[in-house]
Amino acid sequence: MELLVYLLLSGLTTGSLYALIALGIVVVNKATAVINFAHGELFMFSGFVAWMLHVQMGVPYLPSLLAAVAFGFLLGAATDLIAFRPLKNANIISLVLATIGIAFMLRGTARVIWGGKGDYLPFPPITSPEPIMIGGIMVIPQQLAVLAGSIVIMVAFAAFFRLTRAGKMMQATADNAKAATLAGIRIDRIYMLSFGTGAAIAGAAAALMAPLTLLYPDMGFSFFIKGFAAAVLGGLTSLPGAVLGGISIGIIESLAGGYLHSSFIEVSAFIVIMFVLVVRPTGLLGSTRFRRV
Amino acid sequence: MALFGRRNVLVAMLLFAAVAPTFLNAYYLFVANTILIYVLLAIGLNILVGYAGQLAFANAAMFGIGAYGTGLLQVHFGWPFWLAFPLGALIATMVGLAISLPALRLSGLYLALSTLAFAQFTQWVFLNWEPVTFGAGGFKTPPISFAPLPISKTLGLYYLSLILVMVLFALAQNLVRSRIGRAFVAVRDGEIAAESLGVDLLRYKALAFGISGFYAGIAGGLYSAMLNFVSPEGFDLFQMVIHKAMIIVGGLGSIVGSVLGAGTLVFVLEALRKVKGVQEIAFGAILVGFILFMPGGIIGYLKEKVRGWEEPLHRARASRRPPVAATSESSEVRP
Repeated sequence: MELLVYLLLSGLTTGSLYALIALGIVVVNKATAVINFAHGELFMFSGFVAWMLHVQMGVPYLPSLLAAVAFGFLLGAATDLIAFRPLKNANIISLVLATIGIAFMLRGTARVIWGGKGDYLPFPPITSPEPIMIGGIMVIPQQLAVLAGSIVIMVAFAAFFRLTRAGKMMQATADNAKAATLAGIRIDRIYMLSFGTGAAIAGAAAALMAPLTLLYPDMGFSFFIKGFAAAVLGGLTSLPGAVLGGISIGIIESLAGGYLHSSFIEVSAFIVIMFVLVVRPTGLLGSTRFRRV
Repeated sequence: MALFGRRNVLVAMLLFAAVAPTFLNAYYLFVANTILIYVLLAIGLNILVGYAGQLAFANAAMFGIGAYGTGLLQVHFGWPFWLAFPLGALIATMVGLAISLPALRLSGLYLALSTLAFAQFTQWVFLNWEPVTFGAGGFKTPPISFAPLPISKTLGLYYLSLILVMVLFALAQNLVRSRIGRAFVAVRDGEIAAESLGVDLLRYKALAFGISGFYAGIAGGLYSAMLNFVSPEGFDLFQMVIHKAMIIVGGLGSIVGSVLGAGTLVFVLEALRKVKGVQEIAFGAILVGFILFMPGGIIGYLKEKVRGWEEPLHRARASRRPPVAATSESSEVRP
C-alpha cells in the first residue's frame, strides 16, 4: 500500500513534467498541424542554459528558470523561422526531416559545449533533499516543488491562452487558419508564437526537472517520446488531453517500474504510442482531424 | 552520350570499386566497404521514403535486426555465416512486413512517430534482453572465412559487398521502373488516386516496407561481419539520421542518388569521426541545408546541369513516347 502511494506520487510528479512537454507539442500541432521533432532538444538545451546560469554563474534559481523560459521561446521561434516557415508548402517529409536536422544540431552543440557522451550534470536541489513523512508516506520535497511548479505553469499557460489577445489569436488560427487570415491575423506570426510558446513551456519544464534528475545531451529525445506519448494519448489537439495524457504516462511508467522491472520505465511510453496510434489514433480527448489537409 | 553522362560515371565508379583493393590501404578499404554497406541502406530507404512516400524511421532498427540476426544465429546456434546471413536478412524483411501493418492505418506524422517508437523499442530490446543480445556491451561474432577461395576475410567481404551492391542496385533500378515502382509512386503522390487506379494499398505499402527491410537486413549482416562486433549503440537515432541524410543529399526518389548520397556522407562521417557532437551538428546542418536550399539533392543538380543525367523517360527521343507507354501499362494493374 505504501509502495503504491509512493509510486503514484512519483508518477504524478514525472507525469506533470511530461504534461508540460506534451502541452508544448500540442500547442504547435494545434496551430500548424505538424509536430516539432526538435521539441525534446529545445527542452534539453533550455535545461542546460538554466544549469549554466544557476550552477556555473551562480544566478539564483528563479531567474535561471525565467531565463530558460525566454531562451526556449527564442529557440522555438528560430525553429519556426528555419524549419517551418520556408517549408510551409513543402511536403511533410521535408518538414519532419528539417526539424530533426535542428534537433541534431542542438544536440551536437550541447555535447560540444557541455560535455561528451555519458556526461551527466547534476543540478543542486532547490529544496532540502531529505525526504519528509506526510501521514506515514515518504515524500521528497523536491517532488512537491516540481508538482506545484508544473501546476503554476499550466494555470499561467491556460490564462495566456484564454485571456490574452495573442492567446485568442492562436486559438482562432488553430480553429481555421484561412478565416483567421481574413480577420486580419498575421498567421505567420502566430505560427512563430506557437513554436515559441511551446518551446517556452518546455524550457520551464526543463528548469523544473533539472534539480530532480541529471542533465545529459541525449535526454531530449527520451523526453520528447514521452511527451509525445502523452500528447497522443490525450489526442494531440486537446490541451486538457495533454495534461491528462502526461499524468497517465507518468503513472503508468512509475507502476511498471515499481511492480514489473525498472527497465520497463523506459519502454512503456513506446508501447503506449504504438498501441494508441494503432487502436485509437484520436486519443482520449482528441478531435477527428488527424491529417494535414 | 555525353562523356560525363550517368552511364559513363557509373561504369567508372564500378571499375574504380573493382580495382580499389589493389592500391587502398586497410583503413581506406574499410571506408570503401562501409560505403558499399551504406549504399544498400540508402537504396532500401529511398525505395520506401523516396518512391513509396512512407516516412518511416525504422531503417536503423532493421539494420540492427539484420546485424543482430546474423550475429546471434552464429553465436547461439553455431551456424555458419553463409546460413545466418540470408536468414538475418529474412528476419529483417519479416519485421519490415510486420511494421507495415500500422502503416496501413497511419500516414505522415503518425507513421513517422509510430515507427520511431518502434525503433526505440528495438533499441530497448537490444539493450535489455541480455540472455540473448548480451545487453549494452554487445558481442563478438565469429570470424568468417572464404575457405575454398584463396582470399583474406577483408578482401572477400569487400567483394561480397560489391557483388551484392551491383545485384541489388540493378534490382532496385529495374524495380522502380516496373509496374511495382510506378505503383509506389502513385501511392506516394496520392493514396486515394492510387486506389482508384486499382493500386492495392495494402499490398504495395507492405511490399515497400518489406523491400527496405530486406536491403537493411543485408546491410546489417555485412556490417556485423565487417566489424566482427555488434552492439546496440550502432543502431541508435543518429544512425537513422545518417540514413535519412543520405537519401536527402543524394536525392529522394532516385536510386543513383542514393549511391551518391551514401558515398558522400560516409566521407563526411569519417572525416568527423573524432568528435560525436561535431558529427551530429554536421549531419543536422546538412539535413536542414539540403532541404532548404537543394531539395532535389545531388541528383537534382546533376539532372539539371550536366548532360547525360536526364531521366531516361524525360529524354526527348522520337522513337519512344513514354506517356503512352506508361498509360498502357498502368491500365493492366488489376483492380
